[in-house]
Amino acid sequence: MSDKIDCREAHNRLLDYLKQELTPELAAEVQAHLERCRPCFKQAKFEQSFLLMLQEKARGTCCPGELRARILTALRAEQETD
Amino acid sequence: MAEPTTAGRQFDAEALPHLDALYRVALRLTGDPTQAEDLVQDTMLKAYRSWRQYRPGTNAKGWLLTILRNTFINDYRRRKLEPVATDLETVEPHAIYRNVEEVDPEGAFFSKIVDEKVLEAVDALPPDFREVLVLSDMEGMSYGEIAESLRIPVGTVKSRLFRARRQLQSSLYRYAVETGIIPARETDDE
Repeated sequence: MSDKIDCREAHNRLLDYLKQELTPELAAEVQAHLERCRPCFKQAKFEQSFLLMLQEKARGTCCPGELRARILTALRAEQETD
Repeated sequence: MAEPTTAGRQFDAEALPHLDALYRVALRLTGDPTQAEDLVQDTMLKAYRSWRQYRPGTNAKGWLLTILRNTFINDYRRRKLEPVATDLETVEPHAIYRNVEEVDPEGAFFSKIVDEKVLEAVDALPPDFREVLVLSDMEGMSYGEIAESLRIPVGTVKSRLFRARRQLQSSLYRYAVETGIIPARETDDE
């Protein structure tokens, strides 16, 4: 079976593919291309590292405990007026 | 502290798990921890007051982030000195994968950059770009959810994301070269 899409098309869809935003059909075409094309596969790994890094950096920050407590107090006060 | 009411308990169960995400997005939008705290608290109170409009079982995180974002636009944005939008005059950076495919094809340099520098680079993006990047690539919202929340077409979400990612990759690449995390290419033009 030959590729349905070329490198250019695979490249255009790459980030959407990694973000799981493609329809199953379009995703399958990208996947089939990546399995056959080493340069595109390598670039996919690169873009994946970028996305994983961003997710990871985001998780490093949490809501401060003091703020959480302040919000709970404010919510309870709000409920008493219900 | 008084015992929560039934509605309060439902709200707590659906909304409180998203406080971390709300705080993170608030930090990126306001660029200031004190304002971010106020924004999260305002958001939670507004959300509680409009709790009846929330359809249980739908996307609580998206619903809360929409309230946070609207509150920010209406009450906070004016307070913050945004950098003048420069995206029209800046030259679109090219994809940086070509610069690193010889020295670091897997992009290992990204995770070697300290958190603080990455977040600074995110904060330096033009506001419209920063917003979609934070919601999509840091908080995991889908393009459709972002489009709904920001009331813009999905195509606009995608084009902003495309440019945000390119600009961010380019500035992280420059930082990585400057600090010696990766060697500069001899052909890099200044």
